[in-house]
Amino acid sequence: MNINTVTVVGANGTMGTNVSAIFASFGNAKVYMVSRDIEQSKKAVNKAIKSVRADSITKNLIPVDYSILEKCVREADLVFESVAENIEIKQAITKQIALNLRNDAIACSGTSGLSITALAKLFPENLRGNYMGVHFYNPSYYMTLCEVIPTPYTNKTLFDEMKSYLANTLFRTVVESKDSPAFIGNRIGFHFINKALQLAEKYKESGGIDYIDAILGAFTGRAMPPLVTSDFVGLDVHKAIVDNIRENTNDYANDIFSFPVFCQELIDKGSLGRKSGGGLYKTQVLDNGTKRYMVYDIHSADYRDTIKYSFPFVEQMVYALSQGDYKSALKALLENHSTEAEICVEFMLEYIIYSLFISLEVGNGIDSADGVMATGFNWCPPLAMLEAFSNVVPVESLIKERLSASLLEKVGADRLLSCIKSSAYDYRSYFKAKK
Amino acid sequence: MNKVYVLGGAQTDFERNWTKEGKGVIALIKEIVSDGLSAVNLPFEDITKLNRENRIGCFVGNFLSECYVNQSHLGALLTEVDPAFYGVPSARYEAACASGSVALDAAISKIQNGDFDVAIVVGWELQKTVDSKIGADFLGQAAYYEKEAKNIDFPFPKLFARLADEILEKYNLDEKRFMDSLAMISNKNYANAKRNPLAQTRKWFMDFEQASHRNTPTNTSVGGKLAVSDCSQVTDGAAIVVLVSDEYKKRLDIDCPVVLGYGHRVAPMLFDKKAHEAKQSQHMLPWTRQAVLDAYRRSGLSVDDIDFFETHDCFTSSEYAAVSAFGLTEPGDEYKAIEEGITSFSGNKPINASGGLIGCGHPVGASGVRMFLDLYKQISGKSGRCQLNKADIGMMLNIGGSATTNYTFILGNNDKI
Repeated sequence: MNINTVTVVGANGTMGTNVSAIFASFGNAKVYMVSRDIEQSKKAVNKAIKSVRADSITKNLIPVDYSILEKCVREADLVFESVAENIEIKQAITKQIALNLRNDAIACSGTSGLSITALAKLFPENLRGNYMGVHFYNPSYYMTLCEVIPTPYTNKTLFDEMKSYLANTLFRTVVESKDSPAFIGNRIGFHFINKALQLAEKYKESGGIDYIDAILGAFTGRAMPPLVTSDFVGLDVHKAIVDNIRENTNDYANDIFSFPVFCQELIDKGSLGRKSGGGLYKTQVLDNGTKRYMVYDIHSADYRDTIKYSFPFVEQMVYALSQGDYKSALKALLENHSTEAEICVEFMLEYIIYSLFISLEVGNGIDSADGVMATGFNWCPPLAMLEAFSNVVPVESLIKERLSASLLEKVGADRLLSCIKSSAYDYRSYFKAKK
Repeated sequence: MNKVYVLGGAQTDFERNWTKEGKGVIALIKEIVSDGLSAVNLPFEDITKLNRENRIGCFVGNFLSECYVNQSHLGALLTEVDPAFYGVPSARYEAACASGSVALDAAISKIQNGDFDVAIVVGWELQKTVDSKIGADFLGQAAYYEKEAKNIDFPFPKLFARLADEILEKYNLDEKRFMDSLAMISNKNYANAKRNPLAQTRKWFMDFEQASHRNTPTNTSVGGKLAVSDCSQVTDGAAIVVLVSDEYKKRLDIDCPVVLGYGHRVAPMLFDKKAHEAKQSQHMLPWTRQAVLDAYRRSGLSVDDIDFFETHDCFTSSEYAAVSAFGLTEPGDEYKAIEEGITSFSGNKPINASGGLIGCGHPVGASGVRMFLDLYKQISGKSGRCQLNKADIGMMLNIGGSATTNYTFILGNNDKI
């Protein structure tokens, strides 16, 4: 497969910019960066160069606006649509792409949740086979995950060639996903994050948001606590993802994707997260230059200083991890029966079980979620986490003891546990000795 | 003199930042020792048994643990890994970035003498505990600090930029052609690292154009003619190899690579004195060349017999000088081998199939052991996607300072020699 020219439509968005840089660098392709305003496209070129830290790609990046979209699509071996996650906008742009796509070229959407099959229908029948979903993660230079999504119409040979191009030329971690809302990564990731948000509301009198984050910190196998992640992503994007999953999927975990009311209120006030100067968390820079770290207190419906929680199981885990003693860390967790430790264990185990469930439902094998969570979220992947636990206790009995029988039955835990295999990832680097 | 065999070993993922993970030296050495011992199937109980007869020792290579992690006495520190190390002779060896090799040399000697049946060699460094400027100042101790590093920002890039200047002048080279061949070295080592699942830069982008355009916003100058793309990385990591005697190998009834020869030569500490002395020689780094010749003599081999090399590309200029030091070209003709692709992954004499220090990473005290491990992996066909077609005999060059301490080792496939 020769991809010499790529047209990225919506190149001024974060993903459009980052993805343009990946095609222009590893792919050494000429990339038309298309956005509504040429000035925006020019700014995006500079951001793209910075994102891969290479001025050498400058020659490959061509800023353009929609006035020459037709030409750019006709010339492209690959057209990557990365416009706003709004169905009307996506449809309008996709139709324009469909009108001009060469029959030997590939078209793909970078949507994080809309139906690829529905978008494929906007193409004439003779071009539908050339269309597929290719979902990058942010920041793409560091997060190598690429979920690839075929539709029932996708040409199998073309799809395999595209997978090989992504893996071997662009050095992406390629995981095939069914055309299902939010695909694999965001389904699993926001199952965890939204559940944390719901629990923050439930435990609002214990502290709420920062209380839950203190229970599920970096020591549980992730770079940052889940609600800090939500604050980074923005509550608006978070809501769009969970609403989509809640409305368009129907598995046992559907209620977990229900967006808490207090978060809607924050959105209504414009408090989306870091990008709007505050959301679940808020950092104030004081007159003397020092920073004041604040959190939204659900109970009082106002911001307050974050609390430095100190749970004995967390202190023990962080110390053991700092010594490279992963067994003792997990032992300290499992042997502590405080409310906080039990919440922590339940989250970790349900994350494993739900990930395996989604691997089979939406992925194409029990290890699908491993590649996704490691390289898209930088979280300890489920099979690797299972290995970490299995060094301490028989993991099957642990799951049966700690998760409810009805959940295990609904998810088909026996079937999932019968097909587990060893992970391609090493759990040790994911468990940080940090809160 | 007894033969010395390489049973195997392990390397940590050089992409990891242990400080960011909140982990320190104890976590690092526990992990590398446990991975190394399980790779060679040597349980702690066997260490205890060997130690009863005083047949095992440990050799730790590390350069600057006092600065980076406030810890000395690193041989003894292994007792924190497991009680099996209580009573096991163990010490730390230091020769700047060649610390790993001096530990290997000591281990090899003990087995050759018949003192030990098993030698565990660990090299490690944690460098991400401080910012790059402070770290660069620490590393200045590999030079004559008072005269070559004190009050100088990033002294080593400047010393190796001087090496580039000296090479240019000595052989009266075309500057663009020379600088382009340095860019080819960088580009090759980044490309090789893409195949290495333990390489620090395996996700990073580099191409010839980026490497050959220096002094740009994304490829800033580091002093003299060199830029960021010419430099190796600041890395956290460890490597381990387990060496055994002939008798021990016979008991295991397995085949494994054998140590065929070594060289160890020390050049004048000051770069000025090196440059002055080099005027008497065809070679830019005569003592590096001598360390190579010593290994050839001890092994009874020549450059024609060596299938592949791992070299100390702390900067592109050091790999450049290594090309003629190995004997791949006449001194002054190095760029020809580089341009012709002889040292590339698919060339006749590949250098740094692992990615080297530029691509794989450079935790200074670990690098010698990591190179030795990569020779072992290639020769035993365990290099995965880095595996070369022909890899029966390999040579490594590990240097400390500005090519001051020079160490070479040759390993070979026991079957084919």
